[in-house]
Amino acid sequence: MESAFNHPSQAPRLAAERPKSSASGAGSSVFSLGSVVWFHRLTIEQRVLAGFSLVFVGILIISAISYHNTSILLTNSELNGRSHDLIQLLNNIDTAMSEAEDAHRRYLVTGEASYLEIYKKVVKQKPTFTTYLNDLIRESPEQQQRAGLLDRMMDRQLSAESKATAQFQEGGFRAVKKMAFEGAGKRELGVIHQVITEMDAHERQAVGRRVAESAAGTRNTIVLLGIGALLQLVLLASVYYLIRHDITEGRRVAEELQRRGELLEAANKELESFSYSVSHDLRAPLRHIDGYAVLLRNSVEHSLNDKAARYLQTISDAAKQMGQLIDDLLVFSRMGRQEMLRTAVNLDQLITSILSDLRLDLQARAISWTIAALPEVQGDPTMLRQVFMNLIANAVKFTSTRSIAAIEIGVEHPSSTEIVLFVRDNGVGFDMQYAPKLFGVFQRLHRADEFEGTGIGLANVRRIVHRHGGRTWAEGVPDKGATFYVLLPARRLDS
Amino acid sequence: MTVAKPILLAEDNPRDAELALAAMEAEHISDKVVLCHDGAEVLDYLYCRGQFKSRQRGNPAVVFLDLKMPKVNGLEVLRTIKADANLRPIPVVMLTSSREERDLADSYALGANAYVVKPVEFHKFLSAVKELGTFWGIINEPPPESCRSTQ
Repeated sequence: MESAFNHPSQAPRLAAERPKSSASGAGSSVFSLGSVVWFHRLTIEQRVLAGFSLVFVGILIISAISYHNTSILLTNSELNGRSHDLIQLLNNIDTAMSEAEDAHRRYLVTGEASYLEIYKKVVKQKPTFTTYLNDLIRESPEQQQRAGLLDRMMDRQLSAESKATAQFQEGGFRAVKKMAFEGAGKRELGVIHQVITEMDAHERQAVGRRVAESAAGTRNTIVLLGIGALLQLVLLASVYYLIRHDITEGRRVAEELQRRGELLEAANKELESFSYSVSHDLRAPLRHIDGYAVLLRNSVEHSLNDKAARYLQTISDAAKQMGQLIDDLLVFSRMGRQEMLRTAVNLDQLITSILSDLRLDLQARAISWTIAALPEVQGDPTMLRQVFMNLIANAVKFTSTRSIAAIEIGVEHPSSTEIVLFVRDNGVGFDMQYAPKLFGVFQRLHRADEFEGTGIGLANVRRIVHRHGGRTWAEGVPDKGATFYVLLPARRLDS
Repeated sequence: MTVAKPILLAEDNPRDAELALAAMEAEHISDKVVLCHDGAEVLDYLYCRGQFKSRQRGNPAVVFLDLKMPKVNGLEVLRTIKADANLRPIPVVMLTSSREERDLADSYALGANAYVVKPVEFHKFLSAVKELGTFWGIINEPPPESCRSTQ
């Protein structure tokens, strides 16, 4: 049975080629881009979105790193400012402590009150120094240790000197002579110098380290920004390329489609003018053959014997037959290119009207009709009428040898997606081995003297049903009858 | 038979012309038939020029027009006739082999009065031509002549 519709006509084959070639067009674009396969599953919108997302993420990462680097830079510069303050403070402390030592010795030697004042000023300054110092080194444990030592030494130096000053006031120069020359807190001052030098060195080192760190950070930021800008440029360029490629591709496809459309139109035009020529020029000689045969018969009527008369009749019959063939062929060709309507077709009404058209042919016949209630289908009313006209006329023709012909029109397996209609007769039937030939153009299973016909009716049926997106097939048993099936899609095709 | 006016038959194929004339002969109207072999000759006849310069003035009773003709085709002749106020009343019958819908539509759009497809079968052709000749040449009353009165 399969082979019955394994015989595609020209129109579906053309239609089947179209998607194949468009797919190969899309394939070439995949290879021409030569990048990751999954990327090509995305639509152009998704690709552009992905591209811009990457750019966005890139900008975010670079901004974050730059922010981080800049804040380090800021912190370092703040720390450096404090370090400079600390270095300044240490310098001041160093100077003040030296001054105190110097002033108290001068007082011990001279007893001059102004020297005592200078000394006392330093003593008064000392707590401020301590507070300030502790504030500046609060984040560095190493410096805090040194500062502790420094503070103790300062206290010891100052208290030793105070003690010497007090002895001087009680006992005079003599009592403090030794201290006046050597200095009461000379040893402490030495330690102070040393601690201050250490702290100063430590702080300068830290400043140096931070400056280096900041410079490296700045350099990194600059490099990063450069790389980022470059990356974004590349990404933007690829997005641009994608969009442009897509537009170019779209344009190319459109052009290709237009070109194919033009070719198809040209082919259709050619076909049209071909069948126009057939209809015009092929009929004329046939008319002449028949015409002159008749004229000949008329002019030699009296001397014409039976044999000659039969010859002339055969010439005429042959010409008429060819005329019929040409007409049928033109209808067949028109069915292939004619614009199709899509409307609801009431099959019940259609069958009734066909039977009323066949009335005259049916007058002398005894036919028992069984016609089921038929559904409404979507399609071209004129074309579908041709389908059922051909099928019913065939059934009537091939049951002509039956004393009582039985013809059944019905519907099988009605489903939501397709409708299978059939026309069954108890006529001469056919051998299933010839089933594949049934729907071909000019294919006949019976001799011309058995049943008349040009062999184009079923070809028309198949062509029309194919154009409706359906299928045709037939089942038959010789001398028992035949059933012709027409499958039509239940829903409107979006073609 | 009082066929006052000629029947103009435009037919480029001599066989078709002969068959048509044979058909009209049976109705005894063939002597009224003027045969033109292409569209240009039809126009020459209608405008009384060329080989028809000295013909008797007056429009034909009917023009039988083939579609496919050399030089000027049937549709072009039809267009010229129906665009001319003097010629427009002449009945024009398209007599052609073409069953094409396009030809039918074009012919009627241009103002053809009838469209007849030449049957392949000679008997049918015969009766068609006879009927056409009889109807348009004898039965039908042609429009009042404008050319005749001016001659």
